[in-house]
Amino acid sequence: MAISVKVMRRPEAGRTSYMRATLKGMSLTFRHMVRPTKVTLEYPEEQPELSPRWRGTHRMEVHADGRPKCVACGLCPTVCPANCIRLVGGEDDQGNRYPIVYEIDEFRCIFCGMCQEVCPVEAIHVGQHFENAEYGRDRFVYDLDRLMEQDHPTTLLWDPSDPRSE
Amino acid sequence: MADNGRKAETVTLTIDGREVTVPKGTSLLHAAESVGTEVPHYCYHPGLTAPAQCRICLVEVEGAPKLQPSCVTMAADGQVVHTDSPAAKRMRQGVLEFYLVNHPLDCPICDMSGECKLQDYVFDEGRERGRGREPKRVFGRDDFGGDVLYYGDRCVMCTRCVRFMDEVARDSRLTVVERGSRAVIDTFFDRGLEGASFAGNVVDICPVGALVSKDFLHKARAWDLDHTPSICPNCSHGCNIELHTRDNLVQRLKPRENQEVNGHWMCDYGRANYEWLNRPGRLEAPATGRGSDRRTADWKEALELLFGRLAAAEGDVALVGSARCSNEALAGLGALGDEMRGRTAQRVFRAPRAADEVPLPGFPLLVRRRDLVPNAHGAGLLGFQRCGDDGGEGGLDEVAAHGEVIIVLGDDLADQDGDFGANASLFVYLGTFESAAAGNADFVLPITTFAEEDGSFVNAQERVQRFQQGLRPPESARPAWLVLGALVAALRGEKTPDSAPEAFARLVAAHPAFEGLSWEAVGDAGVALGAEAAHG
Repeated sequence: MAISVKVMRRPEAGRTSYMRATLKGMSLTFRHMVRPTKVTLEYPEEQPELSPRWRGTHRMEVHADGRPKCVACGLCPTVCPANCIRLVGGEDDQGNRYPIVYEIDEFRCIFCGMCQEVCPVEAIHVGQHFENAEYGRDRFVYDLDRLMEQDHPTTLLWDPSDPRSE
Repeated sequence: MADNGRKAETVTLTIDGREVTVPKGTSLLHAAESVGTEVPHYCYHPGLTAPAQCRICLVEVEGAPKLQPSCVTMAADGQVVHTDSPAAKRMRQGVLEFYLVNHPLDCPICDMSGECKLQDYVFDEGRERGRGREPKRVFGRDDFGGDVLYYGDRCVMCTRCVRFMDEVARDSRLTVVERGSRAVIDTFFDRGLEGASFAGNVVDICPVGALVSKDFLHKARAWDLDHTPSICPNCSHGCNIELHTRDNLVQRLKPRENQEVNGHWMCDYGRANYEWLNRPGRLEAPATGRGSDRRTADWKEALELLFGRLAAAEGDVALVGSARCSNEALAGLGALGDEMRGRTAQRVFRAPRAADEVPLPGFPLLVRRRDLVPNAHGAGLLGFQRCGDDGGEGGLDEVAAHGEVIIVLGDDLADQDGDFGANASLFVYLGTFESAAAGNADFVLPITTFAEEDGSFVNAQERVQRFQQGLRPPESARPAWLVLGALVAALRGEKTPDSAPEAFARLVAAHPAFEGLSWEAVGDAGVALGAEAAHG
C-alpha cells in the first residue's frame, strides 16, 4: 500500500505576518493579569485539601480512659498483604485482651487500607496525612504509643451515605 | 459386639442421592461422613456417648414423621436420607439462630476463633444478620482450676466436657447448673479441676470457645499455627500429638487421634511440658578443643578432625545415650561404638522416672507411664542400659572417670561438674544445650531436638512411631542420625545416610528387634514391633 503524503500549504517565505497570532497570545496574557487563575499552592503556608479517601500513615483510636481500642484479634496482620504489622496479644489487669506489642513498619506498608477495613472494633485507621519525614529510618516503625498519639483525621474508606456501595 | 464367625453384616442406604454400604450399627452421621458429607454436630463426639441434645445434626429420613438426630439414628437397609433438604436446612438455620440468641459473638477476642464449630456452621448456613432485640445475658468467665477457663456466654451446652469427666476421666468434677438460658457448666462448690490428670482434654473437645486453656490464652490465633504430626516427648507412652507452632516456637501440643495408643486424648502432664523445646541457649556451632583451646569450627573441619581421632583411638569406649533421642540417633551411636577399635565398655542412658503410672480409666490403653522420656524402650532395644536414679541423675561416676573414649549423645549432664571426662583420651559431646560438664570435651557438636528432625520412637507398648520436623533448628545444628551416620559411614567406607528413612533402614538392617519394618509401613499411625513379621 502506498503511503499517502499530505502536502502542507505554507505561505511563501518573507510574506508572513505574525501580528495576528501575537495579539491572540497577548490577549490571554492580559486576561490572566486582570482575572488571574492561581495554580501554585504555597506549601507549607498553605496545605492541600486531601481527598476523603486519602490513605496515609496509621492511627490507633483510643478509649476515653486512654486505652487503645485494639483487642489484638490478629485480623490486620493476617490480612496485611505487605506483612508490615507485628502484633503480640495479651491480657490487661482488667481481663481485657489488648495488644502488648503493636508495630507497623510504615516503609513496608503499601497503604491499601485493608487493616482499617478488616478491623472489627474500628481501632486501626489509615489517616489523611502525608508529612512523614524523619531523620532516621528506624523512626518509621511506629509502635503502639506513636500510633495512639497521631491525631490527624482518619480516612473514609467508603462513602458514609452509602456504606455498602449499593 | 457378638461375633459368631459370621461376616460383618452391612446395610445399604441412600444419602443425598448416593448409595452407600456401611456396617450394621453405623450411625447416619458416620454413614454420611463416608460419602463426604459432614453433618454439623456439637454434642456428639466419637470418644463419648451421644445424648442427641444439641439438635443440630437433624436430618430428614424418608418415612419418618420428624427429622432424626443423625448421631444416634442407626443406618438401616433401604433408608433414604437427606442431609441437605429444605426441611433439614431450615431446621439447622433455626437451631443456629437459637444458639446465637445469647452467644456474645466475641470472635475477635475468642481463642477458639478460626477452629470454632459455631463459627463454621453459622458462616456456612446461618443467617447473615441476627434478629434479636433483647439484650444478651452475661455470665463473664469462671476459673475452673488447673489449666481451664470457662466463658459461660460462649457455651452451647453440648455437655461434652461433663461427659468426658464422667465417662472417660471417671472423675465427675463438672456438671450443668441451672436450666434454660441460665444453664452453665460449673464445678462442685470450691473443688475445681486442679489436680485432675486429664482435664486438659475438655478444652480440646469443646466445640466453641467456652473452655479455653490458660496457658494458650491470647497467645496465638488458630489460623497462624502450623500443625505437625509428632509424638509426645514427655512419657514413654508416646501419645500421638500435633505440634502447633508459630514463629518457630511451639505454642501448644494437641492430641492426634490414634485408637491403638491414645484415642482422642492426652494427659495434662504431657500437654504442659513443651517449653523446653523453645528454650534459648542452644549450642550454635561445632567446637573443638578443651578449655582455653576451645574454638568454633565448621562441620566439615570438625568432622574430619573427629574422624581422624576416632580412627586412631585405641582404648575402650563409653557411650552415654539419651532416651530423648530418636531410634536412628541411638542406633547411630551404637554403630559408632561397634566400629571403633576399642571394646564398648559402657552403653548407658539415664531417664527420669515418676513414682507411679497415671491411667485414664475410661480409655485403659492410655496411661501416663513412669518413664518421663519418649524413647526409653527404644534405647533398651538398641542395647543401652539404664543407669542413675529416678530423677535421671547420677550413675555416671564410672563414665566420668573413664580414661579412654567417651561419647555423650543428647544427655545434658546437668548434674555433672567440670571434672567430667577430665581423664578421657577423647571426649565427644553431641548435645542441644551448653553444659558445664562439656568443658573437657574435645568436640562439642550441636544436634537438633526431636521437634527439629524426622525420626522415630518406640513407646512402652513396643510400638514404633514416627515424628516429623516442626521447627527450624539453629543454623548449625544437625540431626544426630546425620552426624553419627556420617562418622560410621566414613569408618566403614560407605555412603552417609542422606535422610531419616535411610537411617531407619540401616537401623532395621542392624537390629533384629526391628526386623521387617520400613519407614512407609510405620506411617503416621505407627506399627507394633513384631506385628509386621507376624503378618508377613
